[in-house]
Amino acid sequence: MTVDVAPSPENRVGAGATSERPAFAAVVVQIKQASPPVSAGLRLSHERLHEIDRAFFGPFFREKYGRGGDKALENDRIRYYGLIQPANDGGELAGRRYVHEFDTMTGCTRGWHETVDRAGNVRQIRPERNDGTTRHYQFDSNGRYRGSW
Amino acid sequence: MHVDLQTVRRVFEDVLSGAMSREQADRWAYAVLLQEEEAGVVTHSPFHERERIWAGVMYLYGVDTMKAPGEYLHSDDDISAAMNAKLDEVADSGVAMLQRASTMGRRNP
Repeated sequence: MTVDVAPSPENRVGAGATSERPAFAAVVVQIKQASPPVSAGLRLSHERLHEIDRAFFGPFFREKYGRGGDKALENDRIRYYGLIQPANDGGELAGRRYVHEFDTMTGCTRGWHETVDRAGNVRQIRPERNDGTTRHYQFDSNGRYRGSW
Repeated sequence: MHVDLQTVRRVFEDVLSGAMSREQADRWAYAVLLQEEEAGVVTHSPFHERERIWAGVMYLYGVDTMKAPGEYLHSDDDISAAMNAKLDEVADSGVAMLQRASTMGRRNP
C-alpha cells in the first residue's frame, strides 16, 4: 500500500517514491540501529526495496507501525504510517499518526508524530529527540513551514 | 519489561482523571516502545491480546501532542473514545471467553 501525504510539494514526485523534506529531516533523530548497514555502493530500486521490505522487515515493521500504509522513498528508506488517531474538535485538524522510518542502507530507524488536516495535508510534526524533549513544527496547508514551539 | 492490559487501561484512566499528565503518559508509552525496539524484551499479558495492548500503547505515545502552544490536540472525549475502541474489545473478548466456557460447561457437565 502506498500513501502520499507528505507536507511539501517536492514530496509529491511519484505514487510510490518521494524525496525527503529537508525542513524536518534535520530535526528528527535516530532511535536505534535495527540491523547491520547495507553496502553504501549498492543502490536499490524501489521495486527491490519493496521486495526486501516484504520479505524481511515488512512483517515486523508493518505489523507494529504500518497499519495505515507504507511508502518507499528515493533515498532507500521506507516509511510506515500508523492509523490516524482522530481529533474531534470540529476544527481543520483530523488527528495524528505515528510515522516510523527505516533506512535500508544503514539499518537505522527513527520516528515522529504527524498531525494531519482533513484534506490529508501534514500540518505539524513532532519528532522524538534523544534527550526526550519534544518540539512541534508547524506547516500551513501548502506545506510551507510556519514555525515551531 | 512487562506490559499488561490492566496497566494500559490504568494509564488511560489516570490521564482522564488527571492523576497522570498526558506528558507522563506519553513518556511511559515511549519507554515501552524503546524497550520493544531496542531490546525486544517487552512481554504482553495476556499474550493473545498483544495487538490491543500495543494499540493502546501507541495511542498513548503522543497523546500530549498539541495543536497550538498550551492546547492539546485531543480532548478528553477523544481519549475516552480511543480507550473504549482499543481496549474494550479485549474486555468483550474476555466476556465472550467466559460465556463460551459457561456454554461448554452446560454442554459437557
